[in-house]
Amino acid sequence: MNIECGQDKIIDGIHKAQRIAGRHPTLPVLSCLLLEAKKNNTLVIKATNLDLGVEIVIPAKVLKEGTVAVPAAVAYSFLSSLTTGGKDIKLEVDGNNLLIKTQHSNGTIKTMSHEEFPNIPRVVAGKEFNISSNDFIKGLKNVWYSASISGVKPELSSVYVYQDDGYIIFAATDSFRLAEKKIKLKKAVDFGQILVPFKNISEIVRIFEGINAEMSISFNKNQISLSYNGVYLVSRVIDGVFPDYRQIIPKEVKTNSVILKQDFADAMKISHIFSDKFNQIHFKIVPNKGVFEIQTKNNDIGENLQKIDATVSGDETEINFNHRYIVDCLQSIDTDSISLDFSGPNKPLVIRPVADNSFLYLVMPMNR
Amino acid sequence: MNDFAQLWEGVLVEVQGATSKNNFSTWFGGTRIIKIEEGVVHLGVPSPFAYDWLSGKFHNEILRALRKLNDHVRALEYTIVKEDSRKKVEEKKKVQDLTPTISMPLENYYINKDDNLNPRYIFENFIVGPFNEIAHSAAQTVVKNPGHSYNPLFIYGGTGHGKTHLIQAVGNHIKKAFPDKKVFYLTSERFGSEYLTSLQENKAQQFKDKYRKYDVIVMDDVQFFSSKEKMQEELFHLFNTFHDTNRQLVFSSDRHPNFIPNLEERLKTRFSAGMIIDIPEPDYESRMAILKAKLETYSISLPKEIVEFIAENIDGSIREIEGLVNTIVHQIQFKGKELSLMEIKALVKNSTKPKKNASVKDIVKVISDFYNIKEDSVYDKTRRKEVVKPRQIIMYILREDFNISFPSIGDKLGGRDHTTAIHSYEKVKNDLKTNPILLEEISQIRGMI
Repeated sequence: MNIECGQDKIIDGIHKAQRIAGRHPTLPVLSCLLLEAKKNNTLVIKATNLDLGVEIVIPAKVLKEGTVAVPAAVAYSFLSSLTTGGKDIKLEVDGNNLLIKTQHSNGTIKTMSHEEFPNIPRVVAGKEFNISSNDFIKGLKNVWYSASISGVKPELSSVYVYQDDGYIIFAATDSFRLAEKKIKLKKAVDFGQILVPFKNISEIVRIFEGINAEMSISFNKNQISLSYNGVYLVSRVIDGVFPDYRQIIPKEVKTNSVILKQDFADAMKISHIFSDKFNQIHFKIVPNKGVFEIQTKNNDIGENLQKIDATVSGDETEINFNHRYIVDCLQSIDTDSISLDFSGPNKPLVIRPVADNSFLYLVMPMNR
Repeated sequence: MNDFAQLWEGVLVEVQGATSKNNFSTWFGGTRIIKIEEGVVHLGVPSPFAYDWLSGKFHNEILRALRKLNDHVRALEYTIVKEDSRKKVEEKKKVQDLTPTISMPLENYYINKDDNLNPRYIFENFIVGPFNEIAHSAAQTVVKNPGHSYNPLFIYGGTGHGKTHLIQAVGNHIKKAFPDKKVFYLTSERFGSEYLTSLQENKAQQFKDKYRKYDVIVMDDVQFFSSKEKMQEELFHLFNTFHDTNRQLVFSSDRHPNFIPNLEERLKTRFSAGMIIDIPEPDYESRMAILKAKLETYSISLPKEIVEFIAENIDGSIREIEGLVNTIVHQIQFKGKELSLMEIKALVKNSTKPKKNASVKDIVKVISDFYNIKEDSVYDKTRRKEVVKPRQIIMYILREDFNISFPSIGDKLGGRDHTTAIHSYEKVKNDLKTNPILLEEISQIRGMI
């Protein structure tokens, strides 16, 4: 292999791919990136951890075709430390070494045998649709923190993506809280439903965030692929059924309150200092006195009472929540005000941005 | 199954020699033979990566090894299967002490959008005891040969006896065993409301077509068809289409079709055409088994005497057992220690609804609904035949099950003399000896009170 290519392009490609390569107990070659120089003047960078696979195609001047497996960590550290804005980089294989030459620096990296590097699977016989990358990434980012980390129920360790009535809907729950984001589709697509393992979502977001273009998605019952302009990612999907969570959304609101998001976030931050080992926080709402209080108490540290300016209506309520579950949702809310709807003891609290019904968050109370 | 494992073991030994250790453990870990059909070996592999690698690089070697051990093997096909579930049990224990936050009742809402079935209702977790073994074996017969053995299969029994679980398990099993058959589950209520909507929107034909495209229909709670003539007619036509083309129907109801009031005769006889089986209340042993299984899913074990105490003291529906187990689990998680027998006793007392505590008015309502007469007519002086019989049964039940005195019974049912109450009681008691239909009716009524 002997090629020349733009420094920024190859660094960007390697940056995207290197996080997926990692340590694998039985297949050391997976810690490598596979570089393939092809006749049509392209360089293909591949990485996989057998759960997720990525392929990035960048233009290159190929003087001699060839394939090489190079340890991802070394290659990335070396290339990303080079001064930016540099000219072309030359890559050449010499025996078991990869020589990387730039204007000021020459590196020689030991390579591994690429024979054992697996193929990145293609999605065959699947459904396909196109969607704005911004919409898709935003949907995933707005809900994925709610997915279950335990892995006991694979469908709950996933983000559920489905379409309904012209919307693409993203939902995730660990059964203690639930996030749902709806995004209006610019053009109707019919794709049924997909369960994407949440472990893979951070990589999907990292690779496709900010490309700001139409990307194409195709999936079958085993895997999903996302691709845009030379970047191809394939992930396992969960073959399962997501609960019909809409039935859990309380139909009757007992106590409603509207608060400035910033006020609420600040109060939550302070109250967290004094929360106990269960992260318990106590809400007290007395509508006819206009009271909205958040209380935390830790026998070893002390206690705290926060009063918040809020518009409140309905019944008097006192209820406990896990602090973390509530704070999590604030990252998905862009509006200035939020509304909190309480539906009585043992019923979930519903948090929504005011005047924006694209996002919905449910939190179950604590058992006390 | 064992033969498959042995065969695959043999193949692995052959292949192992020809590959590096790393390669072998990466790609052959988690593989197994799922089935062998007409010489085609179906190999289960854990991921698309393994599929790609094995079929691309090892296909010939595997096939050669298979043929060496079994000369009937013609071809090799790959299927991607989910990981083994063995790993999961260990993880479960960790989750428990995580959080005192109440969890959402998501379990109840798992519904597959295509067929409306809840995938958790399967035979594997259906607990079979003496009380439901007949129903279970009939269901097993049906899934072996859907549409041909018992069509329709009609399961009836009280609430919480496991009807829905059983009929959905039939649906789920057929779906798995016959992937080309389209299964659909619905409640009679949904059937009714869809039918009404179709009439309003002038889409009656679409409604008909929708249901006629399925191969198996599982319909829950058909007692709600009572007094709904148009819907009964629609069901009747659907029934005929299905029956004529040997497509399976499965029904459930809270009572025998003959006792569903205002059900057309032609539907009754059609329901009876296949197999009608009842699931009675679970007996003591079955309650023990169910209780143990439920506790196991939370990986909680209770001392033997506590389990026995619960099984003895809770009867009736499985749902009550589930509810109690949930309460116990919550309490254990919350208190962080095991519960004593005393505490369990208190819980059992709270969670079971006190038996035999219905008011006279409620009983009159249940029985007059059952015989489809007006509630008020029971209290009237009328001696019309259709009122007299239910009234006598009311008196019988009040005396026999609730130990209310005869004068008080007479008084409460429209100021009648106590001798009337005595006469009615004796009459029903005597009739019961000779009239099995009456016996059946009364046991149904008792189930509903």
